[in-house]
Amino acid sequence: MEQTFLAIAVLFGLGLYIILTHQNLIKIAMGIGVMESAIILLFIILSYRPGGTAPILDADAQAYDLIVDPIPQALSLTAIVIGAGTTALMLALIIKIYNRYNTLYIDEIKKLKG
Amino acid sequence: MDTPVLLVVLPLLTAFSLGIIKTFSKKLVKAVTVISATVHLALIISVVREAMQSPIVYHLGDWDNLLGISLVIDSFSAMMALLVGVLSYGVIIYSLVYVDFHELKYYVLSFLLIAGVMGMSLTGDLFNLYVFFEIVSITSYALVAIKEEEASFEGAFKYLVMGMLSGTFVLLAIILTYQVTGALNFAQVAANFGDAPMLVRQTIFVFFLIGFGTKFCLVPLHAWLPDVYCGAPASFNALSSGIVIKASLYAFIRIVFLLFGMTAGIGQILIYWGVITFLVAHTLAYQQESLKRLLGYSSIAQIGYILLAIGLGTESGIIAGSYHIFNDGLMKATLFLGVGIFSYAVGASKIDDLRGLGFSMPKISFAFVIATLAIIGLPPFNGFISKWLILQAAWETEYIVAAFFIPVGSLLSLAYYLKVIKALYSRPEREIEVKPIDWKLRVPTYVLSAACLVMGIIPGLSLALIENIPKFLLDSSNYINLLLGR
Repeated sequence: MEQTFLAIAVLFGLGLYIILTHQNLIKIAMGIGVMESAIILLFIILSYRPGGTAPILDADAQAYDLIVDPIPQALSLTAIVIGAGTTALMLALIIKIYNRYNTLYIDEIKKLKG
Repeated sequence: MDTPVLLVVLPLLTAFSLGIIKTFSKKLVKAVTVISATVHLALIISVVREAMQSPIVYHLGDWDNLLGISLVIDSFSAMMALLVGVLSYGVIIYSLVYVDFHELKYYVLSFLLIAGVMGMSLTGDLFNLYVFFEIVSITSYALVAIKEEEASFEGAFKYLVMGMLSGTFVLLAIILTYQVTGALNFAQVAANFGDAPMLVRQTIFVFFLIGFGTKFCLVPLHAWLPDVYCGAPASFNALSSGIVIKASLYAFIRIVFLLFGMTAGIGQILIYWGVITFLVAHTLAYQQESLKRLLGYSSIAQIGYILLAIGLGTESGIIAGSYHIFNDGLMKATLFLGVGIFSYAVGASKIDDLRGLGFSMPKISFAFVIATLAIIGLPPFNGFISKWLILQAAWETEYIVAAFFIPVGSLLSLAYYLKVIKALYSRPEREIEVKPIDWKLRVPTYVLSAACLVMGIIPGLSLALIENIPKFLLDSSNYINLLLGR
């Protein structure tokens, strides 16, 4: 369990590091994606119960005594959808910027602007 | 009655039906926009009047209040709703003439933005708040880029990266809150949150502060705002400064009071951070040449005043802070709409470009000057009343240093706004050709600036609306009982 949290922390840190240090717009977009995935993994890990089943009620619902928490899973779906929307918008913006400046590097864009 | 939910659903519905309407008739788009905005304003006024009698709780889909999402309209939400209603109506009317680029997309995005801000101010559920928060963010990024100029793409990308970071931190704070309380409903979260370990509570506070703080421009997380405002259309600037930033601030204030209560520690952080925020922002504003950047820094400064007032944690502090949220919305909207008219009529974007416009456009300039005087904090305008209330509240609680810096901040803002006023009324170097200005541009500006004056002369009008705000903020059990229907 601890290793998983460590892996999530590393993923989150990596994403943040990429956003803060890289010059390439696409790489910044990728960094944001990595960071978001870390959060979504955190959602899933927090709702996980070892040996639990899916929380689906049916006739013999009594049979389940251990279920995973369904709410974080539902929330992570929403978070994924929001992330997809934002990533799409970001990539669209990058295309527009590339068409205008013919480069993806922040430094060169600043230079072109003078 | 189902009116509360219509406040969110109506703009959402309008946004998505505009595309279909356009395939039938292009002329109908603007008509539907105006009708929907008018109905929306009427609904808001009726709900606010009802909420002033007694607070409203609405359960979406009639689910039990522990399972479903609830909308809670207490005095604070009602004030935000009224602000959203008035400003968005003014801006939509203004946009009918001002916006001549990507019209359909502009209206779709604007209505989504309004729905999101409305949802943020009304919702009683933590995750629902996050969803509306992201709706507001995504539509804002797109609206910044809509003019397709170089400055707007650059601003939008910067905004997007900062916005994504802030969204991630808010999401992290929300999931941690869920983990320690086992609930997302504000009432249950607030009731269970006290049991959480101190370290976790502090972590959650910091995440919320970074997350929402990036959006409401806490110095030093403010750097995106001036760049974003430069490239965005003036109508979006008015909405953003008036309600989008304020909605994040509202969400932060609500969460702090519900989850943590305004303890002395948190209060002091907010008070001194508020003072630093407005001093830094005023100083930076003084160096600006561009009008929109200047107004952007001024927006950041007003956030500082509000944080200071809220951080005091007393009844008078909360009333002063929420009154300043309302007043700053009116003043900033007037200023940005005015700047929009100046750029529409003569293409002015810098302070120097305003030279002589006071003579060629006397009425607009007069309305603009009223709003500048109000935001500096001169009597008899509304900015004076709210800044005076903040000063008084700070004095009462013996934060003398903070109280001392409020008039200092006003002096600083006097210095840079005087540059603007001086440029307006100095003789131009050459004759200025002014485009005729449509009434749809003029009337919203006049009405909002008249509101600045009226709120200053008769503050009782809106103080009646906000006098109950401390009741639900200071004692969170009132809010919990309201939401749980006890």
